Amino acid sequence: MNFNDFGIDSASMAGSLETRLNAARRAGFTHAMISATDIVGHPSSVEAAVQAIHDSGLRVTGLEALRDFEGLTGKMHDYKVDVAKSMLQLCSQIGGRLLLTEASSSVHADIDPEKIARDLRKLAFLALPMGIRIAFKGLSWSRTVRDFSAAAEIISLANCPNLGLAVDAFDVIAAGIPLDDLDLIFPDQIFLVQLSDFMLQEIRSNEEQASTAAHFRVFPGEGAHSEAIARFIVKLEEMGYFGDYSFDVYNTDYLQMPAETIADRARRAAEWLGETVLRRTLPVPNMERLRRAKPNSHC
Amino acid sequence: MNNETDRESVPEPHNPIGMDGIEYIEFATSKPQALGGILERMGFRLVARHRSREIELYRQGSMNLVVNSHPADIPRTVTPVERPVISAMAIRVRDADAAFRRALDLGAWDIPAHARAVELNIPAIHGVGESLIYFVDRYDEFSIFDIDFRAIPGVDPNPPAINDMHYFGLVQYVGVDRTLDWAEFYAQIFGFRQLPDAVRFGIMPKGLLLQSPCEKFYLQLIEPDGAAQYAPMEEHFQRIGLGTPDVIATTRELENRGIDFLSTEKVHTTERGALTVAMLGGVMFELVHTEDGK
Repeated sequence: MNFNDFGIDSASMAGSLETRLNAARRAGFTHAMISATDIVGHPSSVEAAVQAIHDSGLRVTGLEALRDFEGLTGKMHDYKVDVAKSMLQLCSQIGGRLLLTEASSSVHADIDPEKIARDLRKLAFLALPMGIRIAFKGLSWSRTVRDFSAAAEIISLANCPNLGLAVDAFDVIAAGIPLDDLDLIFPDQIFLVQLSDFMLQEIRSNEEQASTAAHFRVFPGEGAHSEAIARFIVKLEEMGYFGDYSFDVYNTDYLQMPAETIADRARRAAEWLGETVLRRTLPVPNMERLRRAKPNSHC
Repeated sequence: MNNETDRESVPEPHNPIGMDGIEYIEFATSKPQALGGILERMGFRLVARHRSREIELYRQGSMNLVVNSHPADIPRTVTPVERPVISAMAIRVRDADAAFRRALDLGAWDIPAHARAVELNIPAIHGVGESLIYFVDRYDEFSIFDIDFRAIPGVDPNPPAINDMHYFGLVQYVGVDRTLDWAEFYAQIFGFRQLPDAVRFGIMPKGLLLQSPCEKFYLQLIEPDGAAQYAPMEEHFQRIGLGTPDVIATTRELENRGIDFLSTEKVHTTERGALTVAMLGGVMFELVHTEDGK
């Protein structure tokens, strides 16, 4: 485990794509999660966005996010297949090897697990020739796949080698899911782990979780749940997870701050996790608070 | 045959699309004559030309080999297009349209008709890298080549094969940790089965072997190892395997015709198999010992 295992999410930062990529690079990151809107929303062209990503030297952690894909029929299904194909092509163009796919929250979607699994399997097959893996993520506001254990059941049902899970620490911590539940999944089924902290001590409802997820996330070590995140990541390491960690931080305040400032905060989080939590080396400045708060923690 | 479902043509579960071998393998190159020279030395004969496109049909025994130099059909790969690449395989199936629709339902990518080499409406899906996979259901009395292609006058349209050479399989190079992905792709869409590691043919034992549901054809998936893991490489069909009952005699005949075989400590001709040197920057054929007619 070292700094390079952690990637920043371009959606955490404000500014042009080039500004954000530069900020990530200058802060020392070697990979970044890219949003499809970063590419298609580029003021010049898709080609210019693709070039900027290649020129940045950053590896693409993955492309995000395909939403509301599964469970549809007829024309709606065909439409979503087209959307998925377009995203897969973008992903391939930027050298991405992973497409983040969030569980459907559409009321039109079928809730039959067999149908959901069949659709995800089709998505994985669309991605397969391009060498792209599908990381499927439960959403607390989905009607059917609300967390990683529900997502893992669907993945097992679909049983396709390039279909796996994205596990979001926020969802685990906010919903108060016991860490031992992670033992139900195989580490090689986990394709991506997303990390974020949040300011609220406790989240009382799905609505609150949804709004917190969308606005009030902070980098690991900056919020009220540092210890829980530390335990989460130690657990994953013990299980043998060896994939990427990505800081999945959406915060409307961050989007009013310079990208460099945000990238620096992300860097401090990566250093804290890499050097303190997992390597038990010296704490990083500004992070002593965490150690003082829990002197007996195993971190 | 007294199976109750015979008259309804219900596919056997182990052969979901009624696969029945290879109709043709296609190379793409902007230098068709250079490749043609090699094919002739390998025992193929130019037997027909496409009516309107720069596409040639070579044949030897049961093997059809298409050389496509139609500009629009040459894949846009990073390597120079003069270097021939295996750009398509066409598989024989019971019902091409049904097999195609089934593949799309499973998540295969279809190929727009204008990008296809042959003019007939032969359905095709994306395969490895830039290559295509065609589904062909007209191959018995009447073949797709009877329509789009014009026979070359005075040439035997069915030249015999040297020592019963026939298509044995294709070797596909895949990326790191990609073997299971491709095994799944071929299993679901075509019904290919993984063979146990103990089953090996020829002299190149690496990788995972897949057997076609018709048991007429093999795919061998090979991942890079050692330093090759870190070299950027597109996934692609690397070489064609040719079956022959007598590898030594076939090798000798082909050597007489001007084909060189690898002869190193690790790879050299034996009764089990042989491997040609790379020609034109990458074209290779592998000989594999097979029993008569298999």
